[in-house]
Amino acid sequence: MKISYSWIREFVDLDVDARTAASALTMSGTEVEEVAHQTVQKEVICARIVEAGRHPDADKLYVCMVDTGRETLQVVCGAPNTRAGMMSAFAPVGCDLGPGMLVKKAKIRGVESFGVLLSERELGLTDDHTGIMELDADTRPGEVLSDALGLEDWVLDVNVTPNRGDCLSVIGVARELAALFGKRLKTPEFSITEDPEAIESVLSVEIVDTRGCPRYAARFLADVKIGKSPFAMRRRLFQSGVRAISNVVDITNYVMLEYGQPLHAFDSTLIAGSGIVVRKAREGETFVTLDSVQRTLRSDDLLICDREKAVALAGVMGGENSEVLPTTTSVVLESAFFDPAGIQKTSKGLGLSTEASYRFERGIDPTTQVDAANRAAHFMALHADARVYRGVIDANHLSLEKRSVRLRVSYLEKVLGIDGIKDEDVQRIFSGLGCDVNALGDGWAIGVPAFRHDLAREIDLVEEFIRVYGMDKVTPDLPVFKPQDGIPEEGGLKELRVALAAMGITEVVTYSFIAPRWRDFFPGDALELLNPISDEMKIMRPSLIPGLMGAIERNRKLQTRDISLFEIGKSFHPRAGSRLPEEVRLLGAAITGQRFDAHWAEKGRTVDFYDIKGIAETLLPAIELKPSSHPHLKAGCQADVILGGRVIGAMGSIHPDILALVDIGDEVFALEMHLEPILTGQWAGLKETPKFPSTWRDLSLVVDDHVCYADIVRDIASKGVRELRQVTAVDVYMGDKLPAGKKGITIRITYQSEERTLEDAMISAWQERIIASLKDDLGITLRQ
Amino acid sequence: MERQLEELRKQFSQDLEKIHTPEELEPLRIQYLGRKGRLTAVLRQMGTLSADERPRMGALSNQLKAFMEQALDDRVAAMTSEQAAAGIDVTLPGRVLRRGTIHVINQVMGEIEDIFRHLGFQIASGPEVEDDYHNFEALNMPENHPARDMQDTFYFSKGILLRTHTSPVQIRVMETQGLPVRIIAPGKVYRCDFDITHSPMFHQVEGLWVEEGITFAHLKGVLYEFAHRCFGPEIPLRFRASFFPFTEPSAEVDMGCIICKGKGCRVCGNTGWLEILGCGMVDPEVYRFVGIDPEKVTGFAFGMGVERIAMIKYGIDDIRLFYDSDLRFLSQFASKGMP
Repeated sequence: MKISYSWIREFVDLDVDARTAASALTMSGTEVEEVAHQTVQKEVICARIVEAGRHPDADKLYVCMVDTGRETLQVVCGAPNTRAGMMSAFAPVGCDLGPGMLVKKAKIRGVESFGVLLSERELGLTDDHTGIMELDADTRPGEVLSDALGLEDWVLDVNVTPNRGDCLSVIGVARELAALFGKRLKTPEFSITEDPEAIESVLSVEIVDTRGCPRYAARFLADVKIGKSPFAMRRRLFQSGVRAISNVVDITNYVMLEYGQPLHAFDSTLIAGSGIVVRKAREGETFVTLDSVQRTLRSDDLLICDREKAVALAGVMGGENSEVLPTTTSVVLESAFFDPAGIQKTSKGLGLSTEASYRFERGIDPTTQVDAANRAAHFMALHADARVYRGVIDANHLSLEKRSVRLRVSYLEKVLGIDGIKDEDVQRIFSGLGCDVNALGDGWAIGVPAFRHDLAREIDLVEEFIRVYGMDKVTPDLPVFKPQDGIPEEGGLKELRVALAAMGITEVVTYSFIAPRWRDFFPGDALELLNPISDEMKIMRPSLIPGLMGAIERNRKLQTRDISLFEIGKSFHPRAGSRLPEEVRLLGAAITGQRFDAHWAEKGRTVDFYDIKGIAETLLPAIELKPSSHPHLKAGCQADVILGGRVIGAMGSIHPDILALVDIGDEVFALEMHLEPILTGQWAGLKETPKFPSTWRDLSLVVDDHVCYADIVRDIASKGVRELRQVTAVDVYMGDKLPAGKKGITIRITYQSEERTLEDAMISAWQERIIASLKDDLGITLRQ
Repeated sequence: MERQLEELRKQFSQDLEKIHTPEELEPLRIQYLGRKGRLTAVLRQMGTLSADERPRMGALSNQLKAFMEQALDDRVAAMTSEQAAAGIDVTLPGRVLRRGTIHVINQVMGEIEDIFRHLGFQIASGPEVEDDYHNFEALNMPENHPARDMQDTFYFSKGILLRTHTSPVQIRVMETQGLPVRIIAPGKVYRCDFDITHSPMFHQVEGLWVEEGITFAHLKGVLYEFAHRCFGPEIPLRFRASFFPFTEPSAEVDMGCIICKGKGCRVCGNTGWLEILGCGMVDPEVYRFVGIDPEKVTGFAFGMGVERIAMIKYGIDDIRLFYDSDLRFLSQFASKGMP
């Protein structure tokens, strides 16, 4: 909400500048986002158009003689309202009105012009550009414009928190400042001369839904002359970002800004049966609002109706059918209190938020309806020549009890951690905010005014006290604490990240939502957002792989080919019988391109399956792999990761269809596994350090293609050689030096005894046993 | 003869200086120390000396011989090591292992976690897909509460959503764990908002301390401690009153702008202050939802955006960089020796 400082100062005598006031508001919880200084250059003066004649060569231009107080200058002006005798704003040659707007001596269609007459918009005062500015007749030529009209001002952009509906007005903000600076709030002073004719003779008000509308006040104004509202009013509306429309509409907006009470003006001739009826809409009822949009309503939306039809969507927007137009001559003025929750429902349901609905939702002052209606009637008499009918119809179903909340000094100190709070501070702060303060034995009874819906509990008063008292007055204090039981500490995540980074893999964080097309590769239900940012971010990821592929795609576009990435995050899976999905913590990794950075002494090689497997084995040496058939991985080059008999993940070469989808030309190997087994890995305990040396022997085997390495290892391990420590593959040969259907594997077997140094003869005996059983069990022969 | 020996020493030293390759050394040796060398030539005159001069001259010439041999050997040694060094090009690149980096957000989050761990906090977590009750209702934001408008929520269905903050972890912990509670809850949160300062997914760290005797002064003390450890001991803080439905009193905490040191700059919008977190005393209404007696205990809660902290710390001006996976950006955060 933007409001001008000069307006605020109508209601509180502040002797500080706008910035100081803004800073005090900010520190006390009403954040001022910006303080904009507004003024008009001192060179711009009031001037009288002494003569205004037609330009000899241009129909729409006038050649004026302008009295600037010091001299009379010839000025060419194109404004349609140019006329002799009027006072307007004038900028002489040399005046800089802003970027690209330096006033120069000019020749316009052959006629010299020594300065410009300006519109309100050109001066940045309002958005009126229908003609040059018209000044009051009592201004004098030569007077500095900003002095004559008091134009220097500051606009505060106030960000009011949702609990402080009472601050959504000039008076509300002024009240805050009064409390903060120890000043008195001044209420608007005005009077209305009423017509003898009573409003009841022309209007009746009936509230059917007293819950939705507990109070409805109305005024009746006749003989209204629709026109422009005065400059000062239009400027303030402009400063607040409200468009000026006509005097009657402007007045309703002006009073809303001033009091925080939304008002609505109806053309009374369009109110059928001279009666206002407030009722709920019928389900599916349609209504055309002021913005010419037809709205379909629900049964809990509230309508203002006449005796025949709906005329306004209560608290949100008026109807097109009863709008105040230039032809309007009499006005019904509405000043009501609507149920905040109801208005919010309607506003949200229709996706229609207005200055009025915004205020009603946050709760307006339930006692101000008549005052605000009177204030508007006063302005209408003043600025629209309105005849104010006698009396206000005030259909009031509110029963406001005076609320009093107890505030204990002990509670205040217990929550805030400060001692020695003074009675006079409490008195000053709360009475400044419009509360009644009565000292009790152990504290105070605080009488809360009706407009402070947010003050109902003792804690609300604690906040109220400290925000005005000043949070900076509380001395920071570190509490004493004891170590506690509770959540078991989860370590390892940081270590895991360090380990992966040390393996040359860089961590990425990708969005948890992905494009629905990934479903083709990750079967199973996916969680779908109702309101995604875009279709590309619509489903919750069932896997980290899509994000990693996106990251590789992105970096390849940036001309990087050798990429190793990992991500630690959750996947999401709907589950039957549970409202919330299963969230699985995963580690994902993907590698592509060269395994090592180019080096002059090394022959480079591209990554392969055993690189990605190696990453997994470095983290979890005990895993086993079993061929798998996941749709996102290439057939024949993928496997499930198994630990302790449980599948904990999968790895392999990314399916070519995915590579095509993300435009990746190189093979990518990816790994995805559950995080828990990695983090919860337990140390097996200390083993005795071997006393005797180990010995190894290599065996070059010729193996049938279908026999896999794990079969060989398993076979060797099953022979019961106690001294067997390790089997590892040191070479694999596939080529034409072996018969078709055969491959060569060289394995290294390591032996070690806990009792003695091993002798050749023993080892040879074991080797023979192993060779024999490999032959018998797996048809393996030794390579010659 | 003594003069001749001295002359010889001088000449030898000069000649040795002129030598730069091992090949030239041997001729020099022969020239001075060879059988027909210059030292031998001088020694031949020994016979002309008187008997009492002879021993002294003998000693002098032996000293000279020893000197020359030593000088030649030293020179050989020096040249050999020079040559060995010149044998390989030590400036060629070594076999450097490729190093990855930990994502800057997780680095910063780890740093924040470490600070609060030192202050006695435990790490708690909760689901990212939440229900309305934990994300809003139990945090004193009933349906239609205007405060819900402050957070644009992603929905899956009525009542099931992506958590908009880490605050539901407060509720989940208080529901299950006895008092006292002293936790931080780091994690991902989501809001439908996407521009240079808003990402639809970002990270928060939530803090909660509920125990008998905890005050607003303690909240200030803990947050001062955090800010000083995270940004340096001189950094000023200010507590600005604010509003959150689940804390009261509530405050937003601004830190003196580390770019301009409070003078006012583009980064801090000329205010000299940067907002870093929101906090407050746990609203008694929240205790009611989790069955804790608000008369018995008090507590405070706070929440901060990790991206915001990282952006301030490293001078990053576009939040989208964190999720763009651009290695040229990510690899810059490996400066502390370890990845």
